[in-house]
Amino acid sequence: MPPKSGFSRAKNVDYDDDDIYDDYSEEEYAAEGEGDAMSEEDKEQMAAGVAKVKEALGSEYKVKEVDIQDALWNYYYDVGKSVTHLKNKYAPKPQTPAKPKAVSRFDQAAGAADAKTPTSTGKHMLICSTESTARTTSDWAQDSERDSITTICETLRDQLGALPQELLNISRVIPNHTPSCASDYTSARTKDFFWDMPWGNVPSNRLATITMQPSPYKGGLLGGSSKLAALAAKRKQKQQEEAAAKADAAANGQTADKAVALLDRLNFKDKPSAPAREDTKPRYPRKRSATPPPQEPEFVREEPITEPQGIRIEFPNLRAKQPSMFGAILCGSPPDEPEQQHVKRALSSFPLPYANAKAFTDADPFSKPSPDDLVRQAQARSAGTPKAKAKTRGKSDGDQLADSVEKLVVETKVKSKNLDVVEEYRKRHVDHGKSTLMGRLLYDLKIVDERSVDKLRQEAETIGKSSFALAWLMDQTPEERSRGVTVDIATVPFETDKTSFTILDAPGHRDFIPNMIAGVSQADFAVLVVDAQENSFQSGLKGQTKEHALIVRSMGIQRLIVAVNKMDTVSWSKERFDKVRQATTSFFETASFSLKNITFIPCAGLTGDNVTKRADDARAEWYSGATFLEALEASEPKTRALEKPLRLTINDVFRGSGQNPLSISGQIETGTVQVGDVVLALPSRETATVKAIELPDGAPAEWAVAGQIPTLHLVDIDAVHLRLGDMLCAPTAPVRLVKSFTCKMLAFEHVMPQFVDVFRGRQQATGLITALASILNKNTGEVVKKKPRIVKPGEVARVRVELEGSAGLPLEVSSRIVLRDGGGRWGRDC
Amino acid sequence: MAANTDRRRINAPSGGTSAPVFAKTVLESGYLQSLRPNRTRGPNELRKTFLQTGIVPSASGSAYLEVPTASSSQSTLIPPTSSLKIAASIQGPKPLPRSAPFSPTLVLTTTVKFAPFATRHRRGYIRDSAERDLGVHLETALRGVIIGERWPKSGVEVVITILEGDEDAWWGDSGAEGGAGSGFGLLNVLAGCITVASAAIMDAGIDCVDMVAGGVAAVTGDGQKVLDPCPAEHQDLVAACAVGYLASRDEITEIWLKGDVGADPDELIEGATHAALGSVSVLREVLLENMEAKMNITKEGSKRKLEDVEMTG
Repeated sequence: MPPKSGFSRAKNVDYDDDDIYDDYSEEEYAAEGEGDAMSEEDKEQMAAGVAKVKEALGSEYKVKEVDIQDALWNYYYDVGKSVTHLKNKYAPKPQTPAKPKAVSRFDQAAGAADAKTPTSTGKHMLICSTESTARTTSDWAQDSERDSITTICETLRDQLGALPQELLNISRVIPNHTPSCASDYTSARTKDFFWDMPWGNVPSNRLATITMQPSPYKGGLLGGSSKLAALAAKRKQKQQEEAAAKADAAANGQTADKAVALLDRLNFKDKPSAPAREDTKPRYPRKRSATPPPQEPEFVREEPITEPQGIRIEFPNLRAKQPSMFGAILCGSPPDEPEQQHVKRALSSFPLPYANAKAFTDADPFSKPSPDDLVRQAQARSAGTPKAKAKTRGKSDGDQLADSVEKLVVETKVKSKNLDVVEEYRKRHVDHGKSTLMGRLLYDLKIVDERSVDKLRQEAETIGKSSFALAWLMDQTPEERSRGVTVDIATVPFETDKTSFTILDAPGHRDFIPNMIAGVSQADFAVLVVDAQENSFQSGLKGQTKEHALIVRSMGIQRLIVAVNKMDTVSWSKERFDKVRQATTSFFETASFSLKNITFIPCAGLTGDNVTKRADDARAEWYSGATFLEALEASEPKTRALEKPLRLTINDVFRGSGQNPLSISGQIETGTVQVGDVVLALPSRETATVKAIELPDGAPAEWAVAGQIPTLHLVDIDAVHLRLGDMLCAPTAPVRLVKSFTCKMLAFEHVMPQFVDVFRGRQQATGLITALASILNKNTGEVVKKKPRIVKPGEVARVRVELEGSAGLPLEVSSRIVLRDGGGRWGRDC
Repeated sequence: MAANTDRRRINAPSGGTSAPVFAKTVLESGYLQSLRPNRTRGPNELRKTFLQTGIVPSASGSAYLEVPTASSSQSTLIPPTSSLKIAASIQGPKPLPRSAPFSPTLVLTTTVKFAPFATRHRRGYIRDSAERDLGVHLETALRGVIIGERWPKSGVEVVITILEGDEDAWWGDSGAEGGAGSGFGLLNVLAGCITVASAAIMDAGIDCVDMVAGGVAAVTGDGQKVLDPCPAEHQDLVAACAVGYLASRDEITEIWLKGDVGADPDELIEGATHAALGSVSVLREVLLENMEAKMNITKEGSKRKLEDVEMTG
């Protein structure tokens, strides 16, 4: 290319001819193949071109065929250009003015460095072009030398002279020759192209023959021209030898063909260089590997890598479809394979070490019944015998438990009668002697030992109240002892030969009526203690005794034992006893007690006569009835609703021990409780778990039923959620907290719509009677009068009560409450 | 060393435990040597590899690699050659903690841990120096692949658990019990780690320039070059090389040469890249499967959860 362009430009300068370079030639070149020698196509084209040129030149010009071929080759078979070139060359015009100029320019530009060597032309070309170009040029020069040295030398001179001229004076040349502007531009472009080529990054398509060299091509020519020149000379020599070998067989055109083919390569600069890469040239020049990496990823898998150094890698399919048994378990089965089969195969490939042992193969582990079967058979055999322990711990089926408990009660009737005794002693304010009577009872039953009684007696004497020693067994707080009255409920369990009792010593003083109500609400029956002394009895019947009896009645207690105390002070007078009996009987009749449920017993608590043993006083021989204890034992307990859901009113909250940080005690009103049950505390609505149950006598138990007053050790609840009077109930059937209710009421005083205190056990709330609905018949329950304005004492009325405050009371149908206003009170249920 | 001891657990004896040696191997002199495994595959033949992704449902990406034992002898309980079982899981990319300094690129953390039972010489519960070293090598291999610029202020953790590692020598050779060994087994482990971590990263969907794969080549005493050497099968390994290789870019991100390589290490490295090409072919298949599965899942909606549950097995 540079020879051509330079050449044409030189001609243009001189003659301003019409051989304007056009793109046609390039397109034609693009279609040409490449190769070291001329292809058949090229030969054909060359032959045709020669004929055309000869025709165009006519006979005026004596041009050798070789020249024509050369010209055609230089112009790439462009007949017109070749003809013009040849015409110019062989024209009779003198060309001398141009030549010296060109030579001088060339000399100037080429410099002294390369001027000495005889192969200066080729060497200079090397500087400006690639190695292939150099070879082409040298080939060309060789051919020219052989045939017409002078002519070709001239041509070369022109060519070479034009190039440096361009380099130096490009700006000057272009404005001077406007008609050949396109040609100038092209040559400038090609010049630039070849100029920078050795210096910068050489495009790979221009390095097509580099790998043919024995030594790696360094990619730079800077200053190394003499070495390269030597190489070029060597190559030239080699090619001369080749040419000589072929000389006899090949025509002249064949050598030219080779050169043409080599030159053609240069013209691919505007084409995609795909064909040039088909040889083994590496894509990544820096990699020293002789093996090219796969261009396409699939290459690796589909065909083995060709390894020229002898390594041949076979990758048939490296992916194992089947992992080890561990991997199979970890990864799961592949989607296309059923899991069972997969695991089975993994198992079969893993030899169990003991699988071949004789003991293993001979063993038949399922020939005999399994241990479980043995146990079940044994259980089935023993199923016929009655179960002693039907109540299984942790079983929360209340009905089942209740059944078993009832069975148990029947079997051991004497032992677990489970009566609860409320000792209701009343007299006026104090000193009717109920605490003393109870102390005597305990003392005589050996519940308390003599030593502690002696101690109490001693203490009582120091403060001048020696008669209170027995009472102090019940009244234990300093306040109670110093005042000599019972303030709070005291619960003391004791047991006789037949029955176990729990004493609830309730206060008699009117200041402590709420405590008394709490006690009475837990009681099965009541013991009324009246003073046999005349003055005391009279005042007592007017005062607290009457009220207490009403409360007892209103809480639904039917059974009453009246202990006429202090008979020793009245010399066991029968008259006195009868008088008291008559007076109280008339009172009880008005309070709707049934007389057959009332037992009168004369006794003396201080001396113990007729309490547990018969009075040995001769004056008491008139009484042949039961002693106080016998009367107690004769009492039948109330029937309890075991099947109903659990209801337990908390009587006490305390810290039982270190193991039981939170314990409560109270009477179970209905239902059952057992260890492990979850109970719901109301009104705090917190749940707790029963960790352990203790019976009143301190014995641990697994269950407790209605009527008992057990101690429950609770867990999973904070103490702040439990207060005296709160209710524990079954979480499945909790008591509703009501704020307003309608109740049937037995009035003991005049009742109008007014504010009242509502008591339910220990719980207390302020309420308002909003409406008096009706007055009922006391016996039949029929409505006597609707919307009364006032309820008189002794009448039964239906009233509506609304509670104040936020919490409300846990009330159920048929639960008993007490409405109390200041001193007056009336009862009863919802 | 004292600071590194594990005080939280009751540890096995420090000398480690190993499978029992049977009396027959001691009584009959030739018996032990008859158990010695030999390489049955060709020098350029690789072991089959099992690889599966998505084994840990809770991780963003996970993979399990297994290079199973080529031949298993039925006459003894002791496996003649060790196999490689590695599980990898990727946590992240997730935001860096507030305490961490700003990072414009993804912060890569690699943790390589041998299970205590992974090798005949029992490993501790705390990472030892060899494991930390492997972690650094793995990080080097992966750092060149992940395009970290796309995840500023984020971190990703690559957690590798080696469930069974290639031994350094055959168990019957005296001295192999010492635990020091030639260290050529570690190269296999590293190559496996690179491959399985690459699969896990692929499963996690972290942007990468290419799939990196590990490969090992070694030179035996007679100068023969073998690919994917199993140290138990070769008595006379002279040098070995593990590479992390990007096949389609023809780049090496990680290289670990060990032993007396000789004058021309290039040939050995070249061989290791060939071995890596084998891993790439497996990786590529798994990637395709993974892609297909994910495409199916996006089509079918909630099927993924079901599958995940099944895989936990």
